Amino acid sequence: MNRREFLQCAAILISGVGASQLGFSLSEEQQHFLADAPDFNTGKIDYFSPVHREIVAAMAEVIIPRTDTPGAIDARVPAFLELMVANWMNDGERAIFNAGLQDIETRIPLEYGKPFQQLSGEEQLQILEALEDAAADSPWYDIGNVDREYISDAPFICHLKELTIWGFFTSLEGGSQVLRYNPMPMLFDGDIPLAPGDSSWSSPFLL
Amino acid sequence: MTESKQYDFDAIVVGSGISGGWAAKELTEKGLKVLVLERGKPLEAGSGYVGEHAPNWKLPYQGKRPRELYQEEYPVQSKVWFSFGEANRQFWNNDKQNPYAMDEGKPFLWARADVVGGRSLIWGRQTYRWSEMDFKANATDGHGIPWPVGYKDIEPWYSYVEKFVGINGKKEGLPQLPDSEFQKPMPWFALEETIHARLKKHAPDVTLTNGRCAILTEDLPGRSACHYCGPCERGCSTGSYFSSQSSTLPAARATGNLTLKANAVVERLEYDSTTGKISRVHVIDTVNGARSAFSAKVFFLCASTVGSTQILLNSTSAAFPNGLANSSGVLGHYMMDHTLGVSGLGVFLDDMDSYYHGNRPTGLYIPRFRNLNGQDDDANFVRGYGYQTATLRMDWQTGINTKGFGATLKDSLRKPGPWIFALAGFTECLPRESNRMYLSKDKVDRFGIPQVVFDFEWSENEINLRQDARKHADRLLKAAGAVLTVAGDDKMSLPGEGIHEMGTARMGADPRASVLNAHNQTHDVPNLFITDGSFMTSASCVNPSLTYMAFTARACDYAVKQLAQGAL
Repeated sequence: MNRREFLQCAAILISGVGASQLGFSLSEEQQHFLADAPDFNTGKIDYFSPVHREIVAAMAEVIIPRTDTPGAIDARVPAFLELMVANWMNDGERAIFNAGLQDIETRIPLEYGKPFQQLSGEEQLQILEALEDAAADSPWYDIGNVDREYISDAPFICHLKELTIWGFFTSLEGGSQVLRYNPMPMLFDGDIPLAPGDSSWSSPFLL
Repeated sequence: MTESKQYDFDAIVVGSGISGGWAAKELTEKGLKVLVLERGKPLEAGSGYVGEHAPNWKLPYQGKRPRELYQEEYPVQSKVWFSFGEANRQFWNNDKQNPYAMDEGKPFLWARADVVGGRSLIWGRQTYRWSEMDFKANATDGHGIPWPVGYKDIEPWYSYVEKFVGINGKKEGLPQLPDSEFQKPMPWFALEETIHARLKKHAPDVTLTNGRCAILTEDLPGRSACHYCGPCERGCSTGSYFSSQSSTLPAARATGNLTLKANAVVERLEYDSTTGKISRVHVIDTVNGARSAFSAKVFFLCASTVGSTQILLNSTSAAFPNGLANSSGVLGHYMMDHTLGVSGLGVFLDDMDSYYHGNRPTGLYIPRFRNLNGQDDDANFVRGYGYQTATLRMDWQTGINTKGFGATLKDSLRKPGPWIFALAGFTECLPRESNRMYLSKDKVDRFGIPQVVFDFEWSENEINLRQDARKHADRLLKAAGAVLTVAGDDKMSLPGEGIHEMGTARMGADPRASVLNAHNQTHDVPNLFITDGSFMTSASCVNPSLTYMAFTARACDYAVKQLAQGAL
């Protein structure tokens, strides 16, 4: 049964039996069906060079590593970054991002003797921290800079972090295994206990 | 019934949104054969809501707004930040295909739907009764003209529509905001209870109550109580919030008396000078450009304030050279909208160990508290404002620019942060002749219909109201115990941004100063009724849709009685 057929059946059901019998008693199957919305996402993107693709994956994993829960690579954040750079960014942002990757590709082997993607986690972290220190004056880091236009001329590290964090927490893995996901809450309770280790809900309201 | 053969339909309703849906339901249930014309695309309730319940990972770009597309094709609609998005973009008007004009330096945001159901699919769902104070406002302070209708006239119609709509809220017994027929109220966050107790003590001049909204907490026939998924504006296949699609159109369809034509843009109404009535409506098919015309005994314009006024201004004849039913000359003038926007927000560290289950699709409300008993001594404005509130817990989105990397960053981003409680003032707008819309002399749309031009500016009263709302928001947030308060933007919202455009065919007792009489019937043409926001003689500070519904039902009752008496 596809979504359309289900909804038509549901409509007949509602008109036939009265809504009070539907109400809070949607079956497990019905709830899952309603939550199983169509996928808007399109095909695979082939934009980065193989080396840039490796660098991007390594950097994303430094930002959000696998711990006892999935990390950026598990959540396919590298592919999301490639999609965003290829299709979503404007020319200026794309140039900043590509120049940032090119800098890592050419500079790091000279400074560390090895490409970025082959360095230890500690060295990779050091490199990203140095990029962040150099970018510290960017308005991207301003307190309250969250509900706003995307900052086009921010340094490379800011684009990388923003899209990595976004891509991770809006992914299936980040959104449902690191955050908590419930598309059919069925009720509202404004006062349930929050334990110190509990995660936020995966929110359908994106800024 | 030889007479009925002279007409294609008993009644024609233009528009299928909140007002048009009600007109369709009322007129068909009273036995009339009704044609509803909708300029937007067909949309099937339920299966047409393709973005409903889409998780973030299924949205294009995982929810990052496609900026280029919006700039190119939706530069106006995409400004409706609380509703427009990829999950419901198919409901909205394509701005590139449907341009309008503005006087230089006077921006106006015209939000429009482009589907059957109109803006009832994407509205904010807030529903508040007007009070006697609102209906008397013009007569009291001399702005605009007096309403020909009082609270007692409309009170039974509020009750009538509310029972069908399904509104949840809490009875407060306030004279400035009469209670509706309520379903049980939605529960509160723990922080809201905390704030409520502190405001009672430290700011007893205000009342904090539920946002009254057209979302079910109890089942109604064919519609289920809310399942708290959150983003109503994507459409609701369980019909839990009120829209024409979930409620009035199915009721109209069930009578067997409804014909609905989508993709049908109304070009003009034809006035017959021998009968003194509207004889036909002229329609253009938006897909193939084909022209057709339909006749009826009575016509209801419910095409939204701007849409209906555009049709009237475009329906000129020898009898009405300045627009149909415009012998008064006020048609298109006295346009109003509510100013809105965050007046202030507070960060709270209370109830940090309390969390929530479910996405409550409404906030709380602070009803008007200024100028209630005559003019407040310290008020440099007339009338007032109310606050809609929002309660949210900071999460990864508000921490996206945090410094640092790795497991520590990941762990801090996944956990809830402090609470935010925001107050958004909705302020009343005065009716002023200079705020207007008119038709362009040289620009036409893709159907050859002259484009709408807006010429609208806020007056000093609205600016002072907004400043007062910012000042009192700070007082209330501090009284509520905020550890940090942030004032809302100093700028006014764009005209139109409230999406409460009203008043361009106002109601009044004097035909020389108004377009409509007390029954939403035009003074000039007896078989023409207008029941969308254009009839509003003043604006109040509360969301207007419930009032459109009540006046629509009342006007339908009147029109059908007039028809039965042979008066139309």
